[in-house]
Amino acid sequence: MVAQPRESTEEIRHLQRCVSDLISVLALPAIWSGGEPSRIVDTLLDALLRMLQLDLVYVRLKETPGRARIETVRFAPSQEYKAQAHEIGQLVESWLGAVPQEWPPLMRNRLGDRDISIVPLGLGLQGEIGVIVTGSERADFPQQTERLILSVAANQASIGLQEAWLRSEQQRVANDLDGRVAQRTTELAGAIEELRKEIAERKHAEEERRSSEEKHRVIVEAANDVVVSMDEKGAILFANSAIRRIFGYDPAEIAGKSMTMLMPDAMQKLHANGFQRYLSTGKRHVNWQGVEVIAQRKGGQEFPVEVSFGELTSDGHKVFTGFIRDISERKQAEDQLRESERNLQMAQAELARVSRLTTMGELAASIAHEVNQPLTAVINNASACLRLLANRNLENEVLRGALEEIIADGTRASAVLARIRSFIKKEPAEKNSLDINEVIQEVLALAGRELSENQVLVEQQLSTDLPFALADRVQLQQVLLNLIMNGVEALTAVADRPRLLRVQSRMDESGDILVAVSDSGTGFELGLDRVFTPFVTTKAKGMGMGLSISRSLVEGHGGRLWAAHNSPNGAVFSFTLPATVEKFS
Amino acid sequence: MTSAAIVFVVDDDPSVRSSLKFLLSTVGLHVESFESADTFLHKKAPDVPSCLVLDVRLPGLSGLDFQRELAARKISIPIVFLTGHGDIPMSVRAMKAGAVEFLTKPFRDQDLLDAVRIALERDRLRREEEKEVMILQRRFDSLTSREREVISLVVSGMLNKQIADQLGTAESTVKVQRSRALEKMHAESLVDLVRMIEKLKGSLGPVR
Repeated sequence: MVAQPRESTEEIRHLQRCVSDLISVLALPAIWSGGEPSRIVDTLLDALLRMLQLDLVYVRLKETPGRARIETVRFAPSQEYKAQAHEIGQLVESWLGAVPQEWPPLMRNRLGDRDISIVPLGLGLQGEIGVIVTGSERADFPQQTERLILSVAANQASIGLQEAWLRSEQQRVANDLDGRVAQRTTELAGAIEELRKEIAERKHAEEERRSSEEKHRVIVEAANDVVVSMDEKGAILFANSAIRRIFGYDPAEIAGKSMTMLMPDAMQKLHANGFQRYLSTGKRHVNWQGVEVIAQRKGGQEFPVEVSFGELTSDGHKVFTGFIRDISERKQAEDQLRESERNLQMAQAELARVSRLTTMGELAASIAHEVNQPLTAVINNASACLRLLANRNLENEVLRGALEEIIADGTRASAVLARIRSFIKKEPAEKNSLDINEVIQEVLALAGRELSENQVLVEQQLSTDLPFALADRVQLQQVLLNLIMNGVEALTAVADRPRLLRVQSRMDESGDILVAVSDSGTGFELGLDRVFTPFVTTKAKGMGMGLSISRSLVEGHGGRLWAAHNSPNGAVFSFTLPATVEKFS
Repeated sequence: MTSAAIVFVVDDDPSVRSSLKFLLSTVGLHVESFESADTFLHKKAPDVPSCLVLDVRLPGLSGLDFQRELAARKISIPIVFLTGHGDIPMSVRAMKAGAVEFLTKPFRDQDLLDAVRIALERDRLRREEEKEVMILQRRFDSLTSREREVISLVVSGMLNKQIADQLGTAESTVKVQRSRALEKMHAESLVDLVRMIEKLKGSLGPVR
């Protein structure tokens, strides 16, 4: 036992060192905690190289999905041979083979120019993590304690690496999650922003729509015109309040009723047909903008309206909206305007007629006075002579004086007439190429009121292929107006038959233009032969000049004017005018 | 026809004037002619029956205006109008204003002579009437105021007694005044007096 103390002391020391190394190895995980696998490998290699006084230590961590292969090598500072990690890895594989389970626990190989003992150890239960290879030139390598330390270190490294990997995986997952959360958060924030914008836009649009609808509603309600819409069946969908004022219907009362209730009977059929035709063919047969039609109020009163309508397709159904304007007042104003224009024309024509008659009247009065003075003297003187003669009291001297006066007065009367004739000069007519039918129409228009007031029916038989007449329009109008007014006056006494006035224009046998004005009136009271005699009249206010003037006007145009009996009643006045051969400018 | 009668002819035409004078002279009428209304107005009308033969259309004052002018001057001479042409409204106006006739030139001589005869007869009667009224008026003016009072009550139909009561005098006094008034008026009876008073009233207005 005494001989053994040195041995024992050595043994104890060796064991102590081994325990110390084991404690160091066991402490490694504390150093590794939170560290990266590469750092774990580094510290492991450094620790083993120092503890076991190795010449070489090599670690390889297998590559797995998501992690790269790690190869690291350490050489003892005294070691002369040096190589790169992947060179050592290839050397190790050539020594041991690819399958870790088949590796021997220890082998001796050449490294450089020296022999070296190699101990491979798998990392992980099946060497799935990687391999750690230690080498030493010592012959006693590995001692039992060294092998223990190696295996413990390998275990610790496996655990540490797996923890590190787990942690890094967790970290990765966490990071990944964080990233995804962040991304998703960003996406959501974007989506929310989008939604917010969209909501704002929709809200805005809704507000706009409401405000616009409100505006439209207010406009439609406030409109002076009736706004009414109907569906494809012709039923009223909506009407604004103006319908109450204009048609007398309550807007609610007519909703759903047919649009035709706003029209008189005569219009209803037209509307229904036209509407049907439009729906089936799409062709509009009336202007949709501002067409004038007759409408009917609730009480049945008819009145003129101006209608504009439009079409809108909503949800596949057509809606027609009409704007109806009451134009009664406008019409009335137009009628009044037309009436007053016509009255003005009539008044002008009448004025012209009267002034002509007045001139004629004054002329006639003047003629009467001027001629009557000498005639009166003649008759007085002659009468006085006759009286004296009857009393046998006529002295020659007296008779001579009287006869001289009679001659003087007779001569004077004749001179008066000569003076008057030279005084009345003929106004030269202004002749143009005229459409006689046009002149007839003008004169009928002028006489329109007289005709209608006296309930005279006018029948026009105007030939459309007449040549132009070379005539003075105003004179022709005078002639026609005179004949027509004569006809009207002849008709006013007629009560037992229609008061018919017929105006004809045609070409006569000799190629002249012939105009005939015939009436169903009282005919010729004074006989046919006297109608053109000047100052002969059957009228209370007549001058008896109209027909004679008309005749001279027509004759001034190279035509003829004559009268005839109409069958069975009345008179026919006809005149001719020579036709122009060519159009006269 | 009274030979003292005068026919005044107013016509601007000398032939007409002279022929009218000739014609009217054949029935013994005295004619005085004038070429205008003014020259006639300047002539002092003699106090004999007369009439006017007047052309409607005269230079200056027209016939109708002249008729109005004469009426305004209280010259009531009957007028026979002559005109160059028949104008009904004008003739109606003239006749309404008192014209005797309205003849259109040339006229039948007999028509004119008839019209002139009627006109002169009308003027003669008017003159007689005027003369009588003038005499009556002179007599009436000679009455005392009491006599006028009495006869105005007499013609209203009151009895002497009633008049006396009203005037506060004796019936006998009234009787005297009444007979004196009748005498002054040359009235033969009460009826005659009433006629006279009526005539005075009619032509000269109120008696008092």
